[in-house]
Amino acid sequence: MKITDACVYPYPAGDSSVRRLALEAHTCGFDSIVAADTPATCINGIDVIPGIFLTGISAREVQARVKKSKGTGTVVCVSAGDNGFNRAVAGTTGVHVLRDVSCADKKAFDHVAAKIAADNTTAVDIDLFPLIFGRGHFRQKAIHRYLDLMVLHRRFEFPLTISSSTRSVLGLRTVREITGLCSLFGMDETDVEKALAGVSQVTAFEDTAVKVIQ
Amino acid sequence: MSVRPPTLREKRRYLLARVDPAGTNPDPKDLYYAVYEGVVSLFGDMSAAAMQPSVIAVEGEYAILRCRRGAEPGFAIALSTITTCRDIPVALRILAVSGTIESLRERIATQGPVPKNEVTATSYQFDAAPVEVVQWYGHKVDVLEKGFKNTRRLFLTTEDLEIIHATTISDGL
Repeated sequence: MKITDACVYPYPAGDSSVRRLALEAHTCGFDSIVAADTPATCINGIDVIPGIFLTGISAREVQARVKKSKGTGTVVCVSAGDNGFNRAVAGTTGVHVLRDVSCADKKAFDHVAAKIAADNTTAVDIDLFPLIFGRGHFRQKAIHRYLDLMVLHRRFEFPLTISSSTRSVLGLRTVREITGLCSLFGMDETDVEKALAGVSQVTAFEDTAVKVIQ
Repeated sequence: MSVRPPTLREKRRYLLARVDPAGTNPDPKDLYYAVYEGVVSLFGDMSAAAMQPSVIAVEGEYAILRCRRGAEPGFAIALSTITTCRDIPVALRILAVSGTIESLRERIATQGPVPKNEVTATSYQFDAAPVEVVQWYGHKVDVLEKGFKNTRRLFLTTEDLEIIHATTISDGL
C-alpha cells in the first residue's frame, strides 16, 4: 500500500521542480506522487508516476486519449463535468480518477455515477486545494460536495484518492495535516489511509483486470 | 487585577511550528493576523473565541503558538490552511505540541537552526535561465529568477541547478 498524492504540478506549470516536490513529499510522509507531464522515475525513494489530466473535452475524446495512453503506466485523471459526462467517464475502462468533483454541479455526481465508478473501480478524487487555498463560498461548496461524496462512498464503496493539486512545495501537506483536513467532512483516519492508497488500488486493478478462468 | 491561582487558570497548549520557506522570518504580529484569519475563516468567530489562538514568539525559522487546551486538533487544522503572511507565501509545519513554552524552546535548541550551505559558484542557471540563490540547505535550493519583472521564487534541488562557467557561455570570456 503506497501513500500517494494523486496530483501535483511541477515546473514549468508550478514553481517547484519535480525533484524538490519528491524531496518534500518524502518529508511529508508520502511514498509516491502523481505528477503532470513528467516521465516515470524514482527520486529519493519516492516514485514519481506520470499523470494525464484531461479537462474540458468530450467523453469520446477521453476514450481516444485513454486508448493512446494504454500500457504506458500513466494515471489518467479526468475533470468532472455534467451528470451524463461523469457517468460515461466513470464507466470508461482506462480512466483511473475522476477529479474536480468539488467544482462540478451539485447533481453532477449522483448515485448512478457512484455505482458505475464502484463497478469499474474508477476512483473519485478529493482535492484539498479548495480547503487549503479557498476561502468563503469556494471552500464551503467544496466541503458540502465532499460530505455528499462521503455518503455515496459509504453506500457504494468506490475508491477515493486524495490530492493536493499544488504547484508549489508550500502547498504540500503532511499525512497528519491531511487527516485533520479530511476530518472536516467526516473522514476518519482509516478512510484517509485507504484514500491515500487509492492510486495504487486503481492502477493495480488495471494490471489484474484480465483473469484466466479454466 | 490579581493573578489567579494555578488551579483556577485556563489550561493552555503551545505548538511549535516551522515557517517555510526558510529565511522568511515573518513579523509575529503579521503571523498572528494570518493565524487569526485562518481560524476565523474556517471555524468562525465563536470557535475562534473559544480556541484563543495566539502567536507567542517567532524565533528564527520557528514559531511558538498558543491555544486553549483541548482545541489543539482544530487549531492544527486551521494552521494547515495558512498559505500567506502579508502576501508572502508561507506554510506552517507543526513539529510539536507541549504544555510549556520552555520544553518547546528546548526542542528548538536540539533541532537547531536550519543548516545552510555556502554558495560556492557565483552564477547558476536553471532551465537555461540565470537564477540567484537565496537559500541553500542540504539538497534543497531556493532561487530567484533574474530579470526585471515576473521574478518568482523557485524551489529546486542541487541536481536541478547548473553552474555557469565561462566555457558554457556561447560567447564565453
